Amino acid sequence: MAAKTIVIYPAPILKTPCAPVEDFDAGILEVIEDLVDSMRAGPGSVGVAAPQIGVSLRACVVDVSKNRLGKDNNHGLLLMVNPEILAKSGSAVMREGCMSVPDYTGDVERATEVTLRYREPDGATREFTATGFEAVAIQHEIDHLDGMLFLDRIGSLKTGLFRRKNYK
Amino acid sequence: MNDGSRLTLAHFAVTIIGKDRPGIVADTSEVLYALGCNVEDSSCTMLGGEFAMILIVSHGKPFSKKRLEAEFAAKNSGNGLSAFIRTLKDDEVLYREPAGELCLVSVYGSDKPGIVYRITRELADRGVNITDLNTKLIGSETEPVYVLMLEAALPQGMSADDASQLLENLKKELSVEISVRLITPVSL
Repeated sequence: MAAKTIVIYPAPILKTPCAPVEDFDAGILEVIEDLVDSMRAGPGSVGVAAPQIGVSLRACVVDVSKNRLGKDNNHGLLLMVNPEILAKSGSAVMREGCMSVPDYTGDVERATEVTLRYREPDGATREFTATGFEAVAIQHEIDHLDGMLFLDRIGSLKTGLFRRKNYK
Repeated sequence: MNDGSRLTLAHFAVTIIGKDRPGIVADTSEVLYALGCNVEDSSCTMLGGEFAMILIVSHGKPFSKKRLEAEFAAKNSGNGLSAFIRTLKDDEVLYREPAGELCLVSVYGSDKPGIVYRITRELADRGVNITDLNTKLIGSETEPVYVLMLEAALPQGMSADDASQLLENLKKELSVEISVRLITPVSL
């Protein structure tokens, strides 16, 4: 298959919730392969969701194993169809960027542990718990399937630390 | 916007500052909107009881700084806001952010003269490029505490540990806490 051009905001597909995958056939396999190729082609990318390559289906891939923050704590290449987060805990703030929103980054608070269930491209159900950077990356990609961008989750401006003083 | 099209625009750095009240941003952006200026980049915040705006604005050429100054002078007469405008050259407009690792340096401790100067001089001498900086005087009148937070791009090859090491001596000399942590954005 091939790396696809990454769709960039304001493309409406990025703000549209994706449809669940019903048929586990050659079609979804092709989407997953394109997602992997597109992730490998993106500099430093650790995940791509289907709407980012123009496909409004609930499918995404994540691989933090080659990233400095994820190399010691990961489940390798994850091919996720219809992923659902069953439980979340912990929280950490990380400065995120996204291939679909170039030239902008922002601090986003995410859970540091997520338990999720999803289908493999062959239809098999898998359930596991991710922690740390892998958990953050998974939440970012699943957000794409719900039409959410990290811009929707930026919790504070850089001066947030000082603002708290006013609320004493 | 690509670099080619940006050069057909005139760019200005606009600084507005005055006693805080609701409406400063609205008044300022109204002037810019009426003139057909774009706000390309901006950072605005409260400093003490003042509200300060710094904006990079553009307008299709030809467009003069005088025009901008006249409109702000008219709008701001009697409302206590001061405006300062500087014309930007093309090479200032095409500036690119530094490529090294991004760090957050936090410094805090009992207030004393020289905290900002000593920390930033040390960083500057090693080619560390500050991209954002905030300071605040907190604590009580009897025990004032100074807080300095800055974000900086490290030069190629310098790690957060190196930067931390660089400031180690100042910790003791200024008796302040200093920590450096990596906040390089993650590309998802």
